[in-house]
Amino acid sequence: MKSKLLMGALSLALCTSLLGGCGSGKGTASEPTQKAAEAPKETAKEAEKPAGEKKTIKFLSIWPEDKDNSKLILELTEEYKKENPNFDMEFEYIAPDDLVSKIKVLLASDDLPDVFAYESGEPLAELIDAGAVVDMEAALQDLGIADCVDEGAKSLLKTLVDGRGLYDLPLGLNIEGMWYNKALFEKAGIAEAPKTWDELEAACDKLMAAGIQPIAGGGKDKWPLTRLLNAYIMRSIGVDAMLEVKQGKRKMTDPEFVKAAEVIQNMVKKGYFGQGVTTVDQGTAVSMVLNGQAAMHYNGSWVTENLNSADNAAGPEGIGYFNIPTVAGGPGKLDEYSMNCGNILTFSSKKYDAATADWVKYVFTRMGDKAITDYGAFKGFKINNMPSSLTYYTNIVADNLKAAKGSSLWFEGRFDAKTSKIAQDYVQTLFNGEITPEEYMTAIQDSLDGK
Amino acid sequence: MEKVLGDKKAIALFIVPPLLLFIGVVFIPIIWSIVYSLYSGMPGVKFDFVGLSNYTKMMQDKTFWQAFWMNMRYVGIVTSGQILFGLLMAMIFQFAIKKYKVFVRTIVFFPVVLPSVAVAQLFSKMFEITPSYGLINALLEVMGLTELIQPWLGQGGTAFGVLCIMDIWTAIGFYAVIIYGALVDIPGEVIEAAQIDGANSFQLFRRILIPLLKPILTTCFIFSLSGTLKMFESATALTKGGPGVATRSLSMFMYNTSFTYSEYGYGSTVAVFILIECLVATCLVGLISKKLKGDV
Repeated sequence: MKSKLLMGALSLALCTSLLGGCGSGKGTASEPTQKAAEAPKETAKEAEKPAGEKKTIKFLSIWPEDKDNSKLILELTEEYKKENPNFDMEFEYIAPDDLVSKIKVLLASDDLPDVFAYESGEPLAELIDAGAVVDMEAALQDLGIADCVDEGAKSLLKTLVDGRGLYDLPLGLNIEGMWYNKALFEKAGIAEAPKTWDELEAACDKLMAAGIQPIAGGGKDKWPLTRLLNAYIMRSIGVDAMLEVKQGKRKMTDPEFVKAAEVIQNMVKKGYFGQGVTTVDQGTAVSMVLNGQAAMHYNGSWVTENLNSADNAAGPEGIGYFNIPTVAGGPGKLDEYSMNCGNILTFSSKKYDAATADWVKYVFTRMGDKAITDYGAFKGFKINNMPSSLTYYTNIVADNLKAAKGSSLWFEGRFDAKTSKIAQDYVQTLFNGEITPEEYMTAIQDSLDGK
Repeated sequence: MEKVLGDKKAIALFIVPPLLLFIGVVFIPIIWSIVYSLYSGMPGVKFDFVGLSNYTKMMQDKTFWQAFWMNMRYVGIVTSGQILFGLLMAMIFQFAIKKYKVFVRTIVFFPVVLPSVAVAQLFSKMFEITPSYGLINALLEVMGLTELIQPWLGQGGTAFGVLCIMDIWTAIGFYAVIIYGALVDIPGEVIEAAQIDGANSFQLFRRILIPLLKPILTTCFIFSLSGTLKMFESATALTKGGPGVATRSLSMFMYNTSFTYSEYGYGSTVAVFILIECLVATCLVGLISKKLKGDV
């Protein structure tokens, strides 16, 4: 009798520990797939319910609930819910680095969220070719709101997927350039913002003489560095340089491209980027310029959110902007900008139905106005009521958007995932001098050639 | 108790559930991976059978070999570092620390339970150079060694070094405690007898302690090897594999291939390689320890 009790107790302990083991898992690669497989099952059930009954759509975002695009969309959705009490939204946040991998896993298990943030270019092209996302041009036309997306944004988005069409909505309409601390420029005796690359380097020399770090680069995040390469290439070779590489008309190993890498590497060697540029992340780089620890910083106009915030130590007019300077002898002009639509929003074609379409109509006809009024930000949607007074920084963006006559994508905009990663990984070694410009460009070209 | 554990039915009840779990969670995915390695592309989107060509591709892939050798250097430095310093610490616990023994052991063990991301953040800040000097650079400045101030994590060679130091530091406590447990088991009379026979410290260490510690050292080696061969989180948290690919291990290469480039077939091939690597390493350690036992 005693041994039976002991047996019973031991087996119970064993089974309980077995179940306990199921709950806590170490972060193995199999776990995310498990979670990803479980979560969409709930939304699949919801999608089967006919319209008119409770409808819940799942929104996968890379911005936290109370920030940026998530906040905009969720606030507009709350308004929509007041008129449509049967509608609900399930919000999920994922870190930007994990977004593409998660979506690919969900694609493989045929369970994409109803609406999700994504990257345009190759990643979106893959989804389009798999028939997984909705043709937004057609969808918007069906809803009678074909003009709610800004024309410039539309053409950018179509270009990014090689003209396959409009399969997404923009969440930004951004220009890139140099943002600089006006007080520091004054201190170094720089009268006006540089218009040519030689003037830029001269300005850097003046700043160094005054003991100020000329440029803050977010090298830890890698992408800010390749934008600098792209900036020089846009001016020295032309606004379509990277497109021509994609079309095979040029090679990354051509002397002009190597020269661009050389120029940038020399700027690092001269000390323009301070020490350890590859250890600073982009957020820190922005703070350095706002706090007066560095004079200039290359970034996109999404940085106006930081500039417009009360935490900006430089004040409401302390930061200036200038477009990428021209290169002597190069075809690039000052009215050509590096532009992008940030991360985009796209919709699962399997789950798109009349209820989702109705929500789309409500939210995105109001998105443009809300973004400019609440944040002073341009999201690529038509603005019906431009606020009478915009902040200094928002005006800078508005003026430059109007002035833009030509545009170029970012450095990796037309690369496949592997080449993009190689370009970004090795840019750090280019910046810290561990590889030569030729080696850097060869590595990229080899990947493009499929080696 | 023996009646309970000796009973075949009891054995079955204890072993079968974990065995099923093991087969389901470990064994089946291994087989699945091996099958995937015979394909190319991404399941659900474009998955074609290519037979063994993934393996030939892997053998010729420069980036694969670069990750492999980085991993080998890492294994060499970190495994020997962890065991050596663990042994050293254990000897200090046993012979040098007279008071506050438990307190010292707890402090030394503390890094083992810290999450890898927290430790990586700690080391990033410690070796920082911009916008302000971290602990190490500040100390160098104070000591007047300003030529040594550098972006430790921004250069390939030094970033690798920092990664090794970080992983050795994290694990010392673990191996120290294990080896200490074995040291304590050595009867005091054996050591006294050797000292009476005139053995100095070095001879005591080499002739008496090491042979008696061999079984536990072998176990430690296997533990350490299985950790360092599959290293992933510490380098990802510290440098994301950078600068360039200086701290990208084989597991990180596999992760990139499968999830970033969406080449699940090729990624599975790398995974199979890592599996074989771990099996070979374990067999080697077993063989060497048997051979050494024979010599003693």
